[in-house]
Amino acid sequence: MNDIRLAWRNIWRNKRRTLLTAASIFLAIFLALIVRSLQTGWFDHLISISIQSYTGHIQIHKKGYWDDRDINNSMPFNDSLTAVIKATNNVDKTVPRLEYFALSSYGKQTKAVMISGTNPVREDALTHLSRKVIKGRYLDSSGNGILVSQGLASFLDLTPGDTVVFLGQGYHGISAAGKFPVAGIIHIPSPQLDNQMIYMNLTTAQYFFNAQDRITSLSITLVNPDEINATVASLRSKIGGEKYEIMRWDEMMGEVMQALKAKIGGGKIIIAILYMIVGFGIFGTVVMMTTERTKEFGVMVSVGMQKTRLAFILVLEMIFIGLTGILSGVVTALPIMVYFHLYPIHLWGGMAQAFISFGIEPLMPLAIKPGFIISNIISVLIIVLLTCIYPIRKAFTLRIVESLHK
Amino acid sequence: MTNDLIYNDLRLMTNINGMNIIEIRNLTKVYDAKTIPVYALNGVDLAFREGEFTCIVGPSGSGKTTMLNLVGGLDSPTGGEIVIDNTDITGLKSRMLIDFRLRNIGFVFQSFNLIPVLTAKENVEFIMQLQGVNKEQRDKRTLELLDSVGLSDKINVRPNKLSGGQQQRVAVARALASKPKFILADEPTANLDSKSAENLLEIMEILNREENITFIFSTHDPRVVAKARRVITLEDGKIVGDISKN
Ligand SMILES: Nc1ncnc2c1ncn2[C@@H]1O[C@H](COP(=O)(O)OP(=O)(O)OP(=O)(O)O)[C@@H](O)[C@H]1O
Ligand SMILES: [Mg+2]
Repeated sequence: MNDIRLAWRNIWRNKRRTLLTAASIFLAIFLALIVRSLQTGWFDHLISISIQSYTGHIQIHKKGYWDDRDINNSMPFNDSLTAVIKATNNVDKTVPRLEYFALSSYGKQTKAVMISGTNPVREDALTHLSRKVIKGRYLDSSGNGILVSQGLASFLDLTPGDTVVFLGQGYHGISAAGKFPVAGIIHIPSPQLDNQMIYMNLTTAQYFFNAQDRITSLSITLVNPDEINATVASLRSKIGGEKYEIMRWDEMMGEVMQALKAKIGGGKIIIAILYMIVGFGIFGTVVMMTTERTKEFGVMVSVGMQKTRLAFILVLEMIFIGLTGILSGVVTALPIMVYFHLYPIHLWGGMAQAFISFGIEPLMPLAIKPGFIISNIISVLIIVLLTCIYPIRKAFTLRIVESLHK
Repeated sequence: MTNDLIYNDLRLMTNINGMNIIEIRNLTKVYDAKTIPVYALNGVDLAFREGEFTCIVGPSGSGKTTMLNLVGGLDSPTGGEIVIDNTDITGLKSRMLIDFRLRNIGFVFQSFNLIPVLTAKENVEFIMQLQGVNKEQRDKRTLELLDSVGLSDKINVRPNKLSGGQQQRVAVARALASKPKFILADEPTANLDSKSAENLLEIMEILNREENITFIFSTHDPRVVAKARRVITLEDGKIVGDISKN
């Protein structure tokens, strides 16, 4: 108790020294939190984009579909399955899709396309497809009008009102053929998709592919994405894991996830470098203030203070200074994180263009997660405790007569 | 050589008379033993009794500081014994020695050496805190001590706001705080103007006379020497004079 008071008094009786050290600790935690917040925010942003623009949090397919995306791997879709899924806890929206390749033809041009048969209303609720329409209009709930992606439309020289022919293979190898009026042209940020996507009503697609009441995938979004594992488990028990594959978004985005994880790994190296620089900064101030006080230590030991007690007080002082720095760093960083979490930074210029070309909204939101906040606090505390080694060593190797001459 | 023998005899006599609180036997301190050895102390035998008011003099480099540091257990000798209260402190381990200093020895340093972040009161109190004296007693004694050195009005002032003379008086109060067996002071007046020096000496004298506090101090100042009741002269690490007045 006495020592705590002594340590506390020591640090506040020498404000300059204390503030200098606390400032370097403040800087460490502040920068680390902002950088981590940016990285995590960026990661979450990418994930939510891909979830929102396509996969949903969970997808249900017929077992084997994901590895062999053939129309013959489609599954029957009916009201009773819908009812079971809708009744599952945590399930928010669902979008059934039937997707397969076909050949498109208009005038003299032909091109392979990906036909996505979907429910226009539910699709729009999940992916905001209607916002991508740049010419003509969005899909009607019935009728066989289609949406053509912009790259494809310009290749085939299509405008709304034109009629395009599709040829292909339907369910069980039956040949499929049909004529469809173009309702609208859409722009898809990803160039690859923009050159090949066709959207039509689910029933239209089922009729075209001769796959009545069948779908290839059912996308599901969740109320609380953090409880995805529990939801997957309960879906599995309800509809059966042998017939269906129930996949999480991160399983579906395997490669993308790997790439992102590598990026985050790189980010951790940046943090490590930051910690090293700041660690040396803190160490420098600690060395300085220990050297400055050598005589004081000499006096204390000569009049009868044990070196162990001196070392203990010095550690307490460092912990107090450390906590002061950490607390002020967190308190300063948090509002900034909250603000840019709610109002993400809009990127501009070439950076924004690069984002858009990958189909990503040019936003940079900051994330706030207790996990990285706590782990950074612990890291900085460890750095602070490591720097204590110096004053501890100094206390134990103190040579009184020499120190008194300082 | 003959001189040495005579002093030895004298010291043996005082030993027989008892009441010695410090006995120094064949004390030697060699610096830089490996290159060019400097004999800062060269076989010193000496005894101090309770209630002494003793001054150590000698030219610069004669070994005054070295001796006081050794007696105070701040440094360890190359050879010899320092027996304080039946304990040979040269054989004590670091922890024991620190504890021994805390309980038995008071220090006054030439450059005051108060703890800069602590007020006058806290500096005095500090030693009693180390000794584990309770707050009530600490407060009482601190105020008494600061009063006895004439600083009742500077209780809550930090060292950098005190004059040299005032700081040294706080240092004397601090040295007394632990109720030590004796106080060692290496040139306590060297950094003081003559008036402050005189004032400090007066306070030390009163404490010595009225409370029987033992003072052993070194100095170059003839006026300080004049106040001492015993004057020990060092030269080249040896005692060349030891005169007691009454
Ligand atoms: N740390 C040291 N290393 C080497 N030699 C030392 C050291 N301290 C003291 N000496 C030498 O020991 C001898 C005695 O020094 P000491 O400081 O005891 O003298 P002093 O009588 O106190 O002198 P002064 O009156 O100048 O204070 C001197 O020759 C000095 O140079
Ligand atoms: Mg000296």
